[in-house]
Amino acid sequence: MSRFFNSMRDGVGFDLILVGAAMLFLLALAGLPLVYNVLMSFQQVDMFTLGSLIRPFAGFTNYVAVVAQPEFWLVTKNTLIFVFASMAGQFVIGFALAIFFAQNFPGASTIRGLFLVSWVMPGLVVGALWSSILAGDFGVLNFLLRSVGLIEGTIFWKSDPNFALWAVVIANIWLGLAFNMLLLSVGLAAIPRDLYEAAELDGANAFQRFWTITLPMMRSTIGAVMSLGLIGTLQQFDLFPALTEGGPANTSTVAGYWAWQMSFQLYDFAKGATISVMMFVLVLFASVVYVRSTRHEVRG
Amino acid sequence: MTRPYVPWLLLGLALALAAVYLFPLYWMYVTSLKTGSEIFANPPTFWPMAPDPSIYPAVWTRRTMGTFMWNSVLIASGVTAITVVLGTGCAYVLARYRSAWIDFGLFLILMLQVLPASVMITPLFVGFNQIGLLNYPRTAVVLAAAAKAMPFFVVLVRATFMSVPRELEEAALVDGNSRVGAFFSIVLPLARNGILVCAILTFMSAFGEYIYSKSIIQDTSLQPASVGLSGFLGPNSTDWNSIMAYSAIYVTPILAVFVLLQRRIVSGLTSGALK
Repeated sequence: MSRFFNSMRDGVGFDLILVGAAMLFLLALAGLPLVYNVLMSFQQVDMFTLGSLIRPFAGFTNYVAVVAQPEFWLVTKNTLIFVFASMAGQFVIGFALAIFFAQNFPGASTIRGLFLVSWVMPGLVVGALWSSILAGDFGVLNFLLRSVGLIEGTIFWKSDPNFALWAVVIANIWLGLAFNMLLLSVGLAAIPRDLYEAAELDGANAFQRFWTITLPMMRSTIGAVMSLGLIGTLQQFDLFPALTEGGPANTSTVAGYWAWQMSFQLYDFAKGATISVMMFVLVLFASVVYVRSTRHEVRG
Repeated sequence: MTRPYVPWLLLGLALALAAVYLFPLYWMYVTSLKTGSEIFANPPTFWPMAPDPSIYPAVWTRRTMGTFMWNSVLIASGVTAITVVLGTGCAYVLARYRSAWIDFGLFLILMLQVLPASVMITPLFVGFNQIGLLNYPRTAVVLAAAAKAMPFFVVLVRATFMSVPRELEEAALVDGNSRVGAFFSIVLPLARNGILVCAILTFMSAFGEYIYSKSIIQDTSLQPASVGLSGFLGPNSTDWNSIMAYSAIYVTPILAVFVLLQRRIVSGLTSGALK
């Protein structure tokens, strides 16, 4: 017994307690629900069986029912558009800004830090801000686009089926841009300066230097940023209730919001769980890419 | 080779870019100070004609923001406390050893980091319902949100612990300290700043938490500020100066802390986020 306590205080036991407490907590509140989610997607869940663990087995009925929903393909398409457009926007603009702020000028890092404000703000508030900026008749974005001459009439960003999803994409790009930029800046700073100097002596122009030095040297950073972007975008939820509530006619509903609507607005928990499982498979794919691209860094 | 005025040109461009990027924030404060009819004016005014700050106390009382903000603070504090207490130890162990088991643990944590809240909320809600935790909705939200916040915290704090020299801890052990003693009197104080920054980040994100609270807390007097905002925000909202005043009251404390600690937060993130 005293050996046991000694190990608590002075050996592996101490480490096991520290890591075990956190792991148990995560297992109970993230691992178990995940398994439970898969279980529910194969069960018949309604108001009467909500409180019990053993429910009628439903086989693949839930999956069939979800795919048979009239909005299923629309939501799938929206999810893909939302994810790829957001990622592309965040990455391209973020990369451009990262390169710009890697230049040597006074205040570069401070001003770059200010961009991160978007990242610490509550998602719902970001949604509220963009909701007013994107408003159709009095929104300031329409006004700016009109005065530059890009559009003539008024775009009803939030209620036009052609634009509703893009309204959320714009807000999401704004939200995630800064984090992308920050991570890419870290990667940029790690590239040795003398590579560029050598290339410059050899007569490589700025574009060639970017293409043959920056991009290859940043490969693992880019992989990690891309997969973090994918994960972050799939996690995005708050902007939807704030901006469009998935409407009009589901044209801006994505998988995550759809799953929530199923469970908490239609109280169809089985379908909500089923959509969640489908989405989780997608996330799993993204995280495998992420873990692979950070593996050698993780070992530190 | 570089001309002397180039850095200043770049600085000007950087300020312009920052101004464009932070325009939504400016718009929030300006809109909150406008009168109802001025908000809908076309073309919009970029500075309120008659700034009216009385909207702030009005929104605070009309929307019972005191209760909402207090709940947000409670929930965020709970999440931060659980995350820091459990996450710090876990990060320390994961930073201290290298083995296949540690790699496996890290892999698990990275995996948990990616689970979307919208995927987790359905099973969490049904599970909480079964064990009766829904009767204590704020506790339920704290537990759920802490599990969501912890992986990111562990990954960041682990990077901090990696930068604490092993030799210092070993010297303490040689001098007769126990592992517990060395941890609390040597390693923790050295990693204090990093942990503090990560705790602040955790607090900030929990302060804006929405989906768990919206789904789990039905009682208005227990809801946090994010849910309170969603009560009068939607695709067809019209009460814009109240919404913006509410948002401004909600985010200004976060923004103030962020601007004050900007340098530390950014360096904490850059050292840990990619590793």
